[in-house]
Amino acid sequence: MPIGTKSSLRDYLIKQLPSATAFINTDFKVVHASDQWIDTFNFSATEVFGSTIFDLFGSPNKSWRRILQSCFKGQPTEIDPSTYVDHNNDQIWIQWQNIPWYDENENVIGAIIQAEEVTQSVNNQLELEKLRTCHNSSDDHPTDAKTAEGEILLKTLIDNLPLNVFIKDLDSKKVLVNKSECEYLGVEHPEELLGKSDFDLYDREVAQISRDEDLQVMRSLTPILGRETANKKKDGKTTTFLTSKIPLIGEDGAVKGLVGISLDISDLKQKEEELRDLINVTSLQNKKLINFAHIISHNLRSHAANFAMLLDFFVNERDTVEKNRLTGMLIEASDNLLETLENLNEVVAINANTNLNKKPVYLTKTVAKVVQSLSAFLKTNNAKITNDISEDVQVNVIPAYLESILMNFITNGVKYKEPSRDPILKLSAIAENGNIVLSISDNGLGIDLKKYGDKLFGMYKTFHHHKDARGIGLYITKNQIEAMGGRVTAQSTVGKGTTFKIYFNGKN
Amino acid sequence: MEKINSIYIVDDDPITVFGIRKILDNIVKCENIDAFGNGKLALESIIKALEEASEIPEVIFLDINMPIMDGWQFLQEFIKLPLKEKVRINIITSSIDSVDRENWEFYKTQTHHLVTFINKPLRSEELIKITKSA
Repeated sequence: MPIGTKSSLRDYLIKQLPSATAFINTDFKVVHASDQWIDTFNFSATEVFGSTIFDLFGSPNKSWRRILQSCFKGQPTEIDPSTYVDHNNDQIWIQWQNIPWYDENENVIGAIIQAEEVTQSVNNQLELEKLRTCHNSSDDHPTDAKTAEGEILLKTLIDNLPLNVFIKDLDSKKVLVNKSECEYLGVEHPEELLGKSDFDLYDREVAQISRDEDLQVMRSLTPILGRETANKKKDGKTTTFLTSKIPLIGEDGAVKGLVGISLDISDLKQKEEELRDLINVTSLQNKKLINFAHIISHNLRSHAANFAMLLDFFVNERDTVEKNRLTGMLIEASDNLLETLENLNEVVAINANTNLNKKPVYLTKTVAKVVQSLSAFLKTNNAKITNDISEDVQVNVIPAYLESILMNFITNGVKYKEPSRDPILKLSAIAENGNIVLSISDNGLGIDLKKYGDKLFGMYKTFHHHKDARGIGLYITKNQIEAMGGRVTAQSTVGKGTTFKIYFNGKN
Repeated sequence: MEKINSIYIVDDDPITVFGIRKILDNIVKCENIDAFGNGKLALESIIKALEEASEIPEVIFLDINMPIMDGWQFLQEFIKLPLKEKVRINIITSSIDSVDRENWEFYKTQTHHLVTFINKPLRSEELIKITKSA
């Protein structure tokens, strides 16, 4: 093509434009077009020139016409991408630029229309849009949303229950633990417990019991509900739980593991134990009281009976000498009653002073003191005392009671001596379970404990012919020992001797 | 007045022994009334009498609470003795313990001797009824 004239040069340049570009006059007729334009829209060169833009692109588009008209007034406008079906019947996306076409005098003589194929970028955009829509729609999906919400609710619930909750797999390894369980086992994060079995966390014996329970639950598919279990951690700390284990069945109907729920009842358990101790102490005291009431009623009754009988005689007696004799007997009966009352009073006083004024004393010092005060009595009876108590042994006692107890056992040991030999008493002390045990052995008459064992420490029980035997000493001694929280036992062989063991309570 | 050959009083309380003796003086004719401070002494005396084929008591007044050998222990040993004679044993006690009454009910069925149970204080009207051969 010759490029001689100005217009032919312009035509040539337009033809070579890399973009699909058309020049239309104000009648919308195509004046120039690039090859790219003709190619893009698959026009024939002959039909393009002289046809209106609306002829070429089908029915006149009102909004496009308006846009082009405003373009003729100097207003460039871009039109959003729209579709165009090309000769291959493929849908392509075109972005239109409408620019005013000026002549050398700056008069608008038409419009320059540039078409840019943007199919690829539109498709990308659409793809993205689609994805976003997809994503949004999944959020909006009603069941999915509910599941998520439900999960949060469940987790909040499980973590805030005042119960230890755990799920174990078939190997009894933890696959879920809640906050309480973590706190109980002293870890911060559940991850530290997951995959661990009871053998990793608890004392072996306890872990074995737990594993056996797990197997039972998973095999029988029968839950264990509210069973009291004692758990012992590796550090030896014991906790009592009320535990339920429920088999966990998977969607396929096969057992997957178990759900465990434990309630810590250690505090309750301890209170229960304290209560039981209290009941034991109370019932023991009650028994003592009944026993004492019995002693009182019996002893007072015998005196009352004597008074009644003697008075009956006295009233019916005419003989003065006999009357005087009866008066003497009445006085004796009265003295007996007073003595009994004094004894009973002493016992009441001992039991009322329980644990009062207890203080530590050196046992051997008190023994020496008592032996010293009995020296005349011991000498008269040729008695020998061996004190093997170590000097540093201390006992927590009411000092006056300790003296009275030692006095009673030592005088008894001498008083009930075997006539054929001189009395020998041996005192020794050992520590046993935090208590001090004082042993007092004699080589005296001994006593048949099979016969008298249950009466040995009873009131007004005497077992030997002895003018001074009143049957009150051992009863009072026993009361004094028990009032200080201790106890006393006896061993004896008739003809060989007796050993009393006094257990002093180590606690205050 | 009832005539009895031998009576034992087994009681460690001298006032009771005195009282029983005094009442018996007025209600029976008996040459041999012996008192024992505990069951063991009384039992030994009966065994001795058996060995010597001398007099066995026809009536025994028996206290329960005594040292060395109490009333029940005495009774336990006594019913084992090979005695053909039927002896009357009157348990005299100030005890109102139901255990003592149960013991009495038990021993009654264990022997051919007559065992009675009477609570103190003693009255001569009551003693008359129980001071006779079984």
